[in-house]
Amino acid sequence: MLKLHNLSKVYRTDEVETVALNSVNVEIASGEFVAIMGPSGCGKSTLLNIIGMLDSPSSGDYIFMEENVAGYNEAKLSNIRKQNIGFIFQSFNLIDELTVEENIELALLYHNIPASERRERVAHVMDKVGIAHRAKHMPSQLSGGQQQRVAVARAVVGDQAMILADEPTGNLDSAHGQEVMEMLQQLNEEGTTIVMVTHSPAHADYARRTINLFDGHVVTENLRAAE
Amino acid sequence: MFFNYFKTALRSLMRHKLFSSINILGLAMGLAAFILIILFVRNEFSWDSHWDRAEDIYRLENTYVRVGQPDRPTPNAVEPLKQVFFDTFQEVEAIARYIDGGVTLRHDGELFSQQVHFAEPGYLDFFGVDVLKGGFDAASVKLSDLAISERTAEKYFGDAPVLGQKLTLRIGGEFRDFYVSAIIADPEVHSVVQHDFVVPFNREYFAGARWFSEDWRFAYWQTYARFAPGTDMALIRAELPAIVDRFLPKNQQGQENGRNWSMTLGLVNIGDVHLYGNGTNAKPDVLYGFTGVAFLILLIAVVNFLNLSMARTAHRAREVAVRKVLGASRRQVVQQFLGESILLAFGALLLALTMVEIALPYYNEFLSSIIEMNLLGEPAMLGALVLLGVGVGVSAGSFQATYFAMLKPHDVLYSNTASDNGTSKLRQGLVVAQFSISVALMIIAFFVHKQTEFARQLDLGFTADNLIVLSGTNNERSNEIKQRLLESPFIEAVGRSSDVPTEGSEDRLHIRPVTGGDPVMLDGLPTGPDFFKVYEIPLLAGRYLTDAGADVLRDRVEDAEYASAANIVVNEMGAKLLGFETPDAAIGQQVSADLSSSLRVDATIVGVVEDFHFDSARDVIRPGIYYIDFIRNSDMSVRIDGNNRDAAIAAIEQAWHATYPDSILRYRTMDEMVERQYQTDDQLSNILAAFTLLAVLISCMGLYGLASFTAERRTKEIGIRKVLGARLADIVGLMLWQFSKPILIANLIAWPVAFYFLNDWLNGFAYRVELGVLPFLVMGAGALLIGWLTVAGHALAVARSNPINALKHD
Ligand SMILES: Nc1ncnc2c1ncn2[C@@H]1O[C@H](COP(=O)(O)OP(=O)(O)O)[C@@H](O)[C@H]1O
Ligand SMILES: [Mg+2]
Repeated sequence: MLKLHNLSKVYRTDEVETVALNSVNVEIASGEFVAIMGPSGCGKSTLLNIIGMLDSPSSGDYIFMEENVAGYNEAKLSNIRKQNIGFIFQSFNLIDELTVEENIELALLYHNIPASERRERVAHVMDKVGIAHRAKHMPSQLSGGQQQRVAVARAVVGDQAMILADEPTGNLDSAHGQEVMEMLQQLNEEGTTIVMVTHSPAHADYARRTINLFDGHVVTENLRAAE
Repeated sequence: MFFNYFKTALRSLMRHKLFSSINILGLAMGLAAFILIILFVRNEFSWDSHWDRAEDIYRLENTYVRVGQPDRPTPNAVEPLKQVFFDTFQEVEAIARYIDGGVTLRHDGELFSQQVHFAEPGYLDFFGVDVLKGGFDAASVKLSDLAISERTAEKYFGDAPVLGQKLTLRIGGEFRDFYVSAIIADPEVHSVVQHDFVVPFNREYFAGARWFSEDWRFAYWQTYARFAPGTDMALIRAELPAIVDRFLPKNQQGQENGRNWSMTLGLVNIGDVHLYGNGTNAKPDVLYGFTGVAFLILLIAVVNFLNLSMARTAHRAREVAVRKVLGASRRQVVQQFLGESILLAFGALLLALTMVEIALPYYNEFLSSIIEMNLLGEPAMLGALVLLGVGVGVSAGSFQATYFAMLKPHDVLYSNTASDNGTSKLRQGLVVAQFSISVALMIIAFFVHKQTEFARQLDLGFTADNLIVLSGTNNERSNEIKQRLLESPFIEAVGRSSDVPTEGSEDRLHIRPVTGGDPVMLDGLPTGPDFFKVYEIPLLAGRYLTDAGADVLRDRVEDAEYASAANIVVNEMGAKLLGFETPDAAIGQQVSADLSSSLRVDATIVGVVEDFHFDSARDVIRPGIYYIDFIRNSDMSVRIDGNNRDAAIAAIEQAWHATYPDSILRYRTMDEMVERQYQTDDQLSNILAAFTLLAVLISCMGLYGLASFTAERRTKEIGIRKVLGARLADIVGLMLWQFSKPILIANLIAWPVAFYFLNDWLNGFAYRVELGVLPFLVMGAGALLIGWLTVAGHALAVARSNPINALKHD
């Protein structure tokens, strides 16, 4: 699916230069479920952002589906992103002014899909994540777990091949966290590639592989034996 | 997709109701004010643009010039110039002339006063006036024919048939019958050519009048010339002085030819006559000032809109970030926000137009104008407004749009706090700009008002109340009506003069001071003996003039000549200028006064009166000399009993009818004439005050919106401060200070600007108020106070809120 080669990211502000990622080499195959772990500030989000093309690397190569996208401009990246990648955030990031249904549909609006098909697909994913009975509600009327389910639905409604999740359970209690993890697992089993940042070893266990970051370096990669 | 934009936009607006309504309302008010002012100004500038080939039609105006005397501009031209123009300029296609005069009209035994154009043949064709019924062809028109406008026909005949009907006019002291031969279109309201009543010109009507000379001494023809298309008017104008040189007769005997005086000719395009022609009392400068104010208000409103929209961007950053993550391109984001902003601006524009519709009647009353807004009939105006809406929308939206287009989604999506999107500096700058304009307008409005009040309170030196001025009495029955008037117990005094206060005098006398040296110039005023009594001008020394022989410079007799010696009165300034230390010292002294360069009079000073205003209150009082000339007593001033005003007016009517049964009474009141002098300045002052209020209001709306936004944004910070021990007063102070800074800076910008402008304006007044520092400080403090009051509510609310709530906010 993707391959990072000697990839670095340096943030420069007026006084300090922060090396967020330092010559990282990572390869993720299609259909994998990967967890990224590490202490706060070690570069997890940065890595995820670069993989998700929300940010560009300072140096190194990023091969995404046989294409080196490291030097691509924003418009090009945006185009690849919307075809292939879905996002789930810790803070849900639903639009307050739109209903559940409309929030999910938003992911299709930028894809030139006819309205009737949009409705079908939205209905389908809402069923899948079990939020259909809340279709007309506003995000503020939902619990955190429900909001995250909406976010998951939004991430997959466009049939994205890969989902990037940055601490998707960070704002949820353990029961709701569990629910979301099971949902992700199911998606993975259906073929979606999932890359997830998490602090919870229990949640990391859902993944087949864990990448441990420390200070911008990949320190270990643990492969869990197939069950 | 657009439906989705629309939905988010609408819901976002609804969610921040207060904010949105302030945003839209503020812009709408600004636009409405802008439209109202521009309508008025445009209206003033668009006079007489309706004529066919208006751009080729020019009015010929003569101005008499005399060395050592002020120019005497007239809106007219002298008789010989028509032929001279035809002979000199091949480019002249046609010339239309008429004499504009008021006559007494008799219809069904009733008398009316009617303004009439005594027009040369071809008048209607020249101006392209539509003949609705009947005919008035130059070839077949008879001297007894009349062309009257539809509304005039209705005034005299109502619904009855009009063509062929008789109307009787009193011309040259004689009643003459005329018959309506044509009904023509009503004149446009905003036109200097009011063709309501057209009478074929006939030399005979004026034969006896002193002014009706065929030479260059009197300009009485309203003269309009049409030039061939594309004529270079600069070349034509360059020829005008040469025309005067060649054709104005010189070196003939008699005092009234071109020897001591000359003339300048002016050609004013018919569209400019209303504002720039001779004899207009329009003030183009004031109109430019208003236009400036209009744009300033628009600027404030747009800045407001921009500012509030920007404040809202922070609220919507998350939405945009999500859209971008989901694949929205830069172009789509720009489209969304530009579209939204333009939509809002149009909403505001619609609201503004509604406000204008509602306000127009009051506005017209306020300005005594008749402005209309007819958008459907005026595609240009409609287009301009649409453009304005789009322009405002684009300028406000483009900032937002570019900001969002550049937005890096992960900055927003990963941060817990709504980021201050780096616009706070810019927003503060915009608040400074708004308040600079508002404070400057406040200061200017204050001093303009103060000056107007000051001028109003100015001691004129005479009593203007209860004075009625009659004209049309400068004839052999002058004494008769004076006697009749004085018989009434309600009439206290009657005086005569060639002009009355507020009008200024035309005569300038050159007199050598008793102390020697060059001759000095005094304003001369021909009066009758009772003039000072009527105007209640106190005597400082000596006595007033009487009608005794030695006091009379010229009597009303056949072929009257000036006396070679006469007693005269001067004012205090005049006495001083002539070299007398005290008024008393002047009494009995003789000076020789040059009435003109060929007429010297030995004048003995028998009285010195206090100085009084004779010109506009804008001008200084000037040294004056007063003498009795019964021939030049065209105005009769009547002092009436103020407690019996109606009875006094009735007595005047009665005396008039007894003396002049064939004409109708026309009079003016002195207090109205005085009032009219202040009218334009008053109008300026009122408009300025009203629009300043509006500007301040709009600025405050902006500040209020910003405060509500800031309060929302800073709840967390303030929560933390409170947890750390800040007191209520500390927090309120913190918030107030944040909004005080821009207002204080605004003052620093506004003061010099206002000072510069005001100093310039006030220099146009002879008696002006001083620009004290205090009003500047007070206005500045006022603005600050208004600002505080505006944000205080929010500051308090935030300061009072429980920090726990604030900290849970995210
Ligand atoms: N926009 C930025 N500007 C400057 N430094 C940044 C920026 N984003 C992240 N960093 C720095 O890069 C490092 C890695 O950050 P991040 O990837 O967010 O860590 P994590 O997600 O593992 O907590 C941190 O030291 C952080 O301060
Ligand atoms: Mg992180």
